[in-house]
Amino acid sequence: MNATDPTTQPLLDLAGDVVRQATQRGADEVSVHVAQSTSTTIQRRDGQVEEASRSSGKKLSLTLLVDDRWSSHSTSDLRPAALASFLDTAVAATRLLEPDPARRLPPAEECGRGASEADLQHLDPAWAGLTAEDRGHAAEAMEAAVERVRQDDTVSATTWFADGHARSVEVTSHGFADHTTSAWFATGGAITLSDEGGRRPEGYSSYATRYRTDLPSLDRIATEADRRAREAIGSGPVDSGRYTLLLPGRLAGRMLGMLMGPMSGGSIHHGRSVLADQLGARIGSDLLHVVDDPTIPRGLGSTPWDDDLRVARPRVVIERGVLREHYLGTYYARKLDRPATTSSASNWVLPVGDRSPEALAAEHPKAIRVSGFLGGNANGLTGDFSFGIRGTLLEDGQPVKQLSEMNVSGNLLTLFHRLVALGDDPWTYSSLRAPTMVFEDLAFSGT
Amino acid sequence: MNALRTASIADHFAALGVDEPLLAAALAAATVHGADQAELYVQHSTSTSLGLSDRAVNRVHTSVDLGVGVRVVVGDQVGFAWTEDLSQEAVLTAARTAAEIARGLGRDPGAVEIPRLSDGLDIYPLSRSWSDVALDERLPLVRAWEQAAFDRDGRVRKVQVSLSDGEKRLLIARADGLRVADVRPMTSAWVGCTIEDDQGRKETGSYNVSGRTDLSYYTADRQQRLVEQAVDRAILALDAGDAPAGELPVVMAAGSSGILLHEAIGHGLEADFNRKGTSIFADKMGTAIASPEVTLIDDATLPGARGSLNIDDEGNPTQRTVLVQDGVLSSYLHDGISARHYGVAPTGSGRRQSFRHPVLPRMRATYMEAGPHDPAAIIASVKKGLYCEHFANGQVQIGGGDFAFYVKHGYLIEDGKLTRPVKDVNLVGNGPKVLGTIDMVGNDLAIDEGGWTCGKEGQSVPVSQGMPTVRVASLSVGGGR
Repeated sequence: MNATDPTTQPLLDLAGDVVRQATQRGADEVSVHVAQSTSTTIQRRDGQVEEASRSSGKKLSLTLLVDDRWSSHSTSDLRPAALASFLDTAVAATRLLEPDPARRLPPAEECGRGASEADLQHLDPAWAGLTAEDRGHAAEAMEAAVERVRQDDTVSATTWFADGHARSVEVTSHGFADHTTSAWFATGGAITLSDEGGRRPEGYSSYATRYRTDLPSLDRIATEADRRAREAIGSGPVDSGRYTLLLPGRLAGRMLGMLMGPMSGGSIHHGRSVLADQLGARIGSDLLHVVDDPTIPRGLGSTPWDDDLRVARPRVVIERGVLREHYLGTYYARKLDRPATTSSASNWVLPVGDRSPEALAAEHPKAIRVSGFLGGNANGLTGDFSFGIRGTLLEDGQPVKQLSEMNVSGNLLTLFHRLVALGDDPWTYSSLRAPTMVFEDLAFSGT
Repeated sequence: MNALRTASIADHFAALGVDEPLLAAALAAATVHGADQAELYVQHSTSTSLGLSDRAVNRVHTSVDLGVGVRVVVGDQVGFAWTEDLSQEAVLTAARTAAEIARGLGRDPGAVEIPRLSDGLDIYPLSRSWSDVALDERLPLVRAWEQAAFDRDGRVRKVQVSLSDGEKRLLIARADGLRVADVRPMTSAWVGCTIEDDQGRKETGSYNVSGRTDLSYYTADRQQRLVEQAVDRAILALDAGDAPAGELPVVMAAGSSGILLHEAIGHGLEADFNRKGTSIFADKMGTAIASPEVTLIDDATLPGARGSLNIDDEGNPTQRTVLVQDGVLSSYLHDGISARHYGVAPTGSGRRQSFRHPVLPRMRATYMEAGPHDPAAIIASVKKGLYCEHFANGQVQIGGGDFAFYVKHGYLIEDGKLTRPVKDVNLVGNGPKVLGTIDMVGNDLAIDEGGWTCGKEGQSVPVSQGMPTVRVASLSVGGGR
C-alpha cells in the first residue's frame, strides 16, 4: 500500500469502520469503496460565462457476502446514525436472497497494486495550484481561439474548460487497504454554422487528459471544431453500395467497442455473446492486435487494480487477429469454471502503421471517411451492427461530397477480417488508442 | 392550498438539518450579488433493485442519494454548485460559490421573499410508499416471471429478471419565496431471455415496463405481457433477417415509435437550443414545420407515466404542452431562463437528473395525436416498405436536424402486407424533411409503457413516448449487410 496523506486517512478510516460495522452485523465478507471528488466547469458563449459550476462530493459503496448471499449498496448519506441504519437494512436484505458462493472475494494473494501511483502519473502536481482566476483565463483562452476561426456564417460558439480531482480508497475484510488519487483537465469548443434550408451544421472538438500540459493547442481544437462543422455544410446521402471505410482513431471506439461486450464474462455466461466460442479463433486480420495495458502513464484507462482489486497487468487480448482472452473477473470465471483473467478493459492499444491517413486514402479509388456516428447499435449475440454516419466521400483520396443520412452495416465476425491498413496517427486522448483504421468492402446505405 | 405534501417534506429535510432558517440563509448568500432566479434543490432518494439469474434471486442493490444543489441565474448565465454534505457550512459554501456568477455585474443584492408553501399536481398513483414494501414481497414476483418465461417456450435456455423501485423526495426553495416539494416514485421491471432452437440458432429477447407508481402497477395483465413479450421477441428475432438498404417508405407502429418524434423534432424544440440559435427549428415559431396531419404534444400530466411530473425541477407547475398544432410550430419546451428570454410562461419543462445537475429544458411524455386512418389501411397503402415495431435507441444532431433510431424488430411490407421479419437495423433521416412527409396518421395512439431514458449534456432523465401508426414517405434504412 502507498503512503497516505492526511486527507486520505479519514477516508480509509471511514471505509475500515464500515467493514467492521458490517462484519459485526453478520457479514462474512465486505468490500468498501469511498470516493471524494471535486470538479469545476466554466462554459462560455458569445463573450461571457454561460455556466460556472462546482461540485464537491463524497460517496460510499460496498458489497456484502452474508451466508454466501451477495449484495451491493451505495450511499451519500454518511452521517453516522444514517450509515448504521443503512447497514442494518443492507445486511437484512442480503439474508433474504438465495446463495451465490461464486461471489466470494478473490484470494487475498491475488489482490494488490500493479503500477505504483508514481508510475501511473494520475495526479498532475499543477492541479493543486490551479486558482479560480486560472480557470477563468483558461476558459477565456479557449473562447479566444474559437473566435480566431469564427466566420460570418458562425451562428453560435460555445467553449469550456473543466478540471477535477478524485481521491478514492478500497478496504476489504480480507486485508486489502489502498487508495488512488487523480486529476483531470478538459477543454473544447462547439461551433454552429448557418446553411441553406435553415440547417445549422455543428462541429465540436473536446479533449480530456490527466496532465494539463498534455492538452493539445487551443488553436488546434478550435480549427477542428470549425472544420467538422464546415464538413457538414451541404451534406447528403450517396447511392447505397459497398465502399472502403476510413475510420479515424478518435472514432475507432465505435467499432472496437463492439468487441468488448461479447468478450465479457457476463455476456458469455448469460448466453449473449457472439464471441463465446471464438477463443483461439481468428476474428480479424493480422492488423487486429490489441494489448490491454492498465499501466500506461497518464492513461485515461490506467488502473493499479481491476474491479476485483486483483493486480492489474498488461495482457494481449487479441493477437494478430486471434482472440486470446475473454474478460473474466473472479465471479464469472468461477461460474464458467475457467481461470480468471481480468474483469474489464483498461486501455486498449493497437499497433501503429507507417503511412499517413492521406496516403492510405489515396490508395482507394472510392472511400468514405467517417467524421461522426449517429445512433445505431449492435446485437452482441449475432454480431450484426448498423450505425448512422456522416463523413466525406473520397475518390483517390480527394473529397468529392460531404455525406449525411447514411448508415454502415455489417457483422462483427467479418468486420475485422476486412481491416487492411492502419495509419501512422495513433490517437492518445482516449483509453482506446488506435490509429486511422481502413476497412474494405463494407455495406453503406444511402439513397 | 394547504400544501400538505410540501409541509411534510419540509419537515423531513428539517430533520436532516436543512430547515427553513438554513434555506433562507443559503438563498440570501446565493443572491448576495443579485439574481434573476435562484433556488436550492434538496434531494433524498432511496432505491432498491432486485436481480435474478441462474434460477436464483441472487443479488440486491440498495442506494441512498442525499444532497443539495444551488443555482443562481442572471440573464442567461448560470452559477451552480452542489454538495452531498448537508451541514450548514457546506450548504452556505455551495450558495456562495453559485453566487459568484453575478459578482461584478453591478446588480443589487436580491431580496429573499417570505416563504410561501405550494403543492403541484397529484398525478402519481401511489397508495403505498415503496419504502414500506418489504423485500420478500418483491421476491415472488421476480420468481414468477422467471418461471413463466421458461414455461412460455421450450427453447428458452436462460432467463434474467430485474425489479427496481424507489422514491425521490425533493424540496425546492426559491428566492422568490416559493417552497414546493414532490415525492416521485418510480418502478421498472425487465425480463430478458436467451433461446436456442434444435438447429443451434440462438437469439435474445427482452421487454421492460416502467411507471411513476406503486406495487399495484404489476397487474396480472402487465406481468403476463412483460414475460410474453420478452420470450416472443426472442422467437421473432430467431426468424428475422436482414433489412434492405436504401430509402424506403416506412410505417411506424403505434406505441414506442414515438422515438421518431423524440429524435426528429422533440430535442430540436427544447428552448435552450433555440435561444442559442443552434436548433434547426430556431426562428420557425408560427410556421409550418410538419405536414398538417401532425399535432405534437409533450405532456407531464399523464397519470403514472414514467415521464410525468407534479412539478418541474424549478418548482414550476407542469402542463400538457402543444408543440405543433396541425403542422404549425406553436411552442418550445421552456425552463425559466428561456421563458424569460422569449417573454412567455414556463412550460414546466425544466428538468435535472439530480441535485448534481443544473436545469435544462427537457421532454416529459412526447406523443402525436391520433389521426383518422385505420392502421391496417396504412399498411395496405404501401407497395414496398418497412414496418418498424420495436426500438432500442436513437440520436439527433440538433443543428443539422439529422436523426437516427435503431429498429430492433420489424417487417417488410410487400404489396400492402407484412411479410418477412427483419431485425437490428438503423434508420436515419432529416427531421424537417421527414415531418413534412408524414401523410397518414392512424387512429390508434398508444403511449408506450417502456422504461425510456433520455440523455442530454450528460444528464439522464426518465421520459415517455407515444405514437399512432403513421406512414413516412421515406427514410434511409441501414440494412443490406
